[in-house]
Amino acid sequence: MPITLIVGGGMAGRAAALTLRRVGYQGEIILVGDETTPPYDRPPLSKSVIVGKADLDKVIKPALATYAEDGIDLRLGVAVTSADAAAKTATLSDGSEVAWDALVIATGCAPREVPIPGLDKPGVFRITRLDEALAIQEVLSSGPKRLAVIGGGFIGMEAAAAAVAHGHTATVLEAAPEPMARPLGLAVAERVLRWATDRGVEVRAGVGVDEVLGDDRASGVRLADGDIIDADLVICAIGQVPRLELARLLGCEEAAGGIKVDTGMHTSVDGVYAVGDIAAFPSKWADEDRIRVEHAGVAIGHGQTAAEQIATGEGMFEDLPTFWSDQGDITLNMVGVPRPEDEIVWRGDQAIPACTAFYLRDGKLRAAMSVGDMKTLRGVRKLFAAGVSPTAEQLADPDADLAALAAG
Amino acid sequence: MAQVSIGKLSDFPDGTPTFAEADGTRLCIVRVGDKVHAICDDCPHAEASLSEGDFLADDLAVECPLHGSAFNLESGDPDAPPATEAVQVFAVTVDGDDVRVEI
Repeated sequence: MPITLIVGGGMAGRAAALTLRRVGYQGEIILVGDETTPPYDRPPLSKSVIVGKADLDKVIKPALATYAEDGIDLRLGVAVTSADAAAKTATLSDGSEVAWDALVIATGCAPREVPIPGLDKPGVFRITRLDEALAIQEVLSSGPKRLAVIGGGFIGMEAAAAAVAHGHTATVLEAAPEPMARPLGLAVAERVLRWATDRGVEVRAGVGVDEVLGDDRASGVRLADGDIIDADLVICAIGQVPRLELARLLGCEEAAGGIKVDTGMHTSVDGVYAVGDIAAFPSKWADEDRIRVEHAGVAIGHGQTAAEQIATGEGMFEDLPTFWSDQGDITLNMVGVPRPEDEIVWRGDQAIPACTAFYLRDGKLRAAMSVGDMKTLRGVRKLFAAGVSPTAEQLADPDADLAALAAG
Repeated sequence: MAQVSIGKLSDFPDGTPTFAEADGTRLCIVRVGDKVHAICDDCPHAEASLSEGDFLADDLAVECPLHGSAFNLESGDPDAPPATEAVQVFAVTVDGDDVRVEI
């Protein structure tokens, strides 16, 4: 019987394991994850879990019984310590050996190491894993707290917005002059930032953090300009780096800061697939030869595609990349692959907010970010599917029906 | 299994997702002509009420208002991530003007 070994129990690894049976795979499935918790949804960690608003039965899913029913051998709390591409074997940290026919690398990202003194103090938290998010929840559950959030990316902004919406105060500290400018572009990032500050999130941008203060426990941070931000807890959300060790061990070719794959998620090594955060994949929606996307929707699609390839030899990941970010009562939904330098055209009321930002490159629609306007976003999907790019005037006009323009 | 009345046909505007509750089960009801569909109101992906989403007539689906996965009213299956699980579908009987859901 063939064996598929999946390394990594995140969104992509879980999707691969669960999809294999759904598409008729008859072989053995082994899912190895280095956390002791069964696979869970990661997006809620920085949104609902830290403020105690998540139903953990819905976050940790599916139920363990599902893996048993599907005949998925779930090995938790173990990592792969070595692997051999020619012999098609792997050694796990519990000492066991696995011979595989297909190997799916879904190792995701590790938190970025940052040289800020004091990050090892009690009271400093990361939000990359469920146990870390639950530790934050425990602190926040005992009454209003002051948070210092280092890092103004999506995770940091989401955590700050969620905390403020639940009666805490939060100051986001971002070294770059404009938080979220890289993924959203400056004009859109400025607007999203204003919605956050309107809702009570404090933001200090363009200044680094020199040190986490506190004797036996974090009591705040000192900024590069000398200012001190007092805090009951410090959240470090300063980004993440792809975990490429296993793929490198196997000799997989790299690209775009990750592991190079084709549309079927095959790496350069026979029988080895890379999915999720680490995969540098070709996308007809991007200008680059390969892109990497660190978002759940893409990770799930990658996992599903690798499973189809393993089971049937068919299946390509050609989805339009999408992502969302819930920041308190604001939900950003992005479709397409924007670039920071794209021209922005707005539609709708930016104050409510119920609006869409269209990203144009060389006059062509390349991406759209919408808040509270799913109808427009649905129209954008139809435009992409039809290969139609309206004019900037049409995009800005709330009465112009994008779905109708897509239909021609 | 019990048939629970959730209201009259006229309580459910054509093509508009409407919230209903039957024996504590939260439902998203969509009437399409004479036919009435019932699915679980809670998006399986994140905390969102599907009855606040839009009905997509072409796909016979309801789109989640938060992140845009659209759930087919007959199969319960989502069309695209972020949702990956189907939403529960309930059988509906229309008896004269009375709409009943099998819970």
